Amino acid sequence: MAVTVEQETPFVVLDDRDRIVGVGPKAESQFGPLVGARLWECFPGSEPLFKPYYDAARRSGEPLTFVQFYDGNVARIRAVPLADGRLELHWEQLARLDTLTLGSLAESLDESLALLDEQGESYERETMRRALRVIQGGV
Amino acid sequence: MSPGTADTTRSSAPGAYFVLDDDDRVVHLSREFHDTRGRGVGHVLWDHLPRAREIYGPSFAEARATGRPVETTIFYAGRLKRVLAIPGGDGLAVHVENLAELDVTSLATLTRSLERLDAVLADRASALPDRRSHASLQALP
Repeated sequence: MAVTVEQETPFVVLDDRDRIVGVGPKAESQFGPLVGARLWECFPGSEPLFKPYYDAARRSGEPLTFVQFYDGNVARIRAVPLADGRLELHWEQLARLDTLTLGSLAESLDESLALLDEQGESYERETMRRALRVIQGGV
Repeated sequence: MSPGTADTTRSSAPGAYFVLDDDDRVVHLSREFHDTRGRGVGHVLWDHLPRAREIYGPSFAEARATGRPVETTIFYAGRLKRVLAIPGGDGLAVHVENLAELDVTSLATLTRSLERLDAVLADRASALPDRRSHASLQALP
């Protein structure tokens, strides 16, 4: 098992081919059954969202922290490259989209976008805000 | 809604439906609902669907009060649905058709699904004679 940087957070360890090779205690229930599998095969659509950051952390050899939206959740992820090519991933859930009603969707989406705005790259979010405004104007 | 319009509305009702008694207790489910809602028979609809009453309730009340079918387009639990409430001697038959669904995999899929939802709404707005049917969507701030 990897040396942990942040003992209190859930974490997984990836090998150099992005296979899950280690799981921290707080991630055991979700990721324990996935040990040995490639991360991207377990979470469809996640590769283009996360892999560029993981590759950047491996290339630089330095820990990298970013905020990302996936599967209705906004999380802060810290990717820590280890000496042997493995990558330790810690995460903290920051927000979850509430799709129950349009009101709760708009409110939780606003919260999620505010968190993501910390990261810049606002084009996609502006497109989404525009779509929501159109829906609002159409009723 | 004229009698002729009501007949047309009934004939175009979605196949998936459930029937409520006067206390909003589920007394019957069509086959399409059995897998997901089969255990709901005998229970009050709102007990298992958080905040659903504020979304569905007004059109149910209108159908019961007028004795005529009421068609609405609502958004609930990530799905845009066509809902047709038809009052009758056995209770209120509520027909439901899913029109569009949010895809929250990524911001890109969410954006595309919001745009699909908007397009469906535009179609529905032109098809429905009564804009009150969109009341539930006015929850959007």
